[in-house]
Amino acid sequence: MEQDLSAQESLRLIEGMIAQAKRNFSRLSFYFLLWGGLLIAAMIAVYLLRGRTDGWGQGAPWGVAGMIGGIVSWVHGARQGKRMGASTPMDAVIGWVWSAFVVVLLTTILILASKGVDPGPMILLLTGFATFITGQVLRFRPLVLGGLVFWLCALVLWWAKDPLLSTLVYCSGMLLGYIIPGLMLKRQEDGVRTA
Amino acid sequence: MGFAPLDPVLHNQLRLAIVSLLVGVDEGDFNFLLEHTGATRGNLSVQITKLKEAGYVEVKKTFKDNYPNTMCSLAPKGLKAFEEYVAAIKQYLG
Repeated sequence: MEQDLSAQESLRLIEGMIAQAKRNFSRLSFYFLLWGGLLIAAMIAVYLLRGRTDGWGQGAPWGVAGMIGGIVSWVHGARQGKRMGASTPMDAVIGWVWSAFVVVLLTTILILASKGVDPGPMILLLTGFATFITGQVLRFRPLVLGGLVFWLCALVLWWAKDPLLSTLVYCSGMLLGYIIPGLMLKRQEDGVRTA
Repeated sequence: MGFAPLDPVLHNQLRLAIVSLLVGVDEGDFNFLLEHTGATRGNLSVQITKLKEAGYVEVKKTFKDNYPNTMCSLAPKGLKAFEEYVAAIKQYLG
């Protein structure tokens, strides 16, 4: 067997195996769809609750969405980790980017909210940052464009004072930055899995 | 100029497949290697042992859902050998 392998067969085998290993990435579409849906729901709830509660009460939908998303993501990630037979450097980079994102996001929300500043635009800037990097690492253009959409929405949100306009901008950002790229990524992941 | 000799440890279909798979990941478990190489459990186990003895692969015995789980990763010596093997193959192919 050892002598049977020609140089061309060796090279073909190497290329084939490396390509297979590359396909072994984590399924990330679930997180984009989950968080996109939760954050749109939270923003709509904030809009509907406007004027009925104080500033901190207005933040309740974000807290609920964050808790649900955090728990579901953690459980899903743990289950997926158990099923995965291998971990790639790409998975590790994306994992660290989003871990750092959560730390910076929570700190930013805490600081800005305590100063009475709406953290919305900063949240979108940070979300765009992590989405853009994830898109670049995965070489998945819809997520890269999603990151750019978040940055654009952050700028618009900073100047938009009308609650309805702010809600529409935020929800559009989530739709174009998370939901649509998430659906496209899911199609790609499903295709790779059945290939 | 003569051709560089091919590393006998890597110049084996299954061992080369294992190392090529491990090049693309941080670490992979026994089932991952089994699934992608299509080898039998016995043969895979034997070849992993040979790669481990050559210092090309590091093997960690862990538990996954209360079942023994063998995690493999490419050792620096294995990566160097793989790079030299690929260079030698390219030389053969001109």
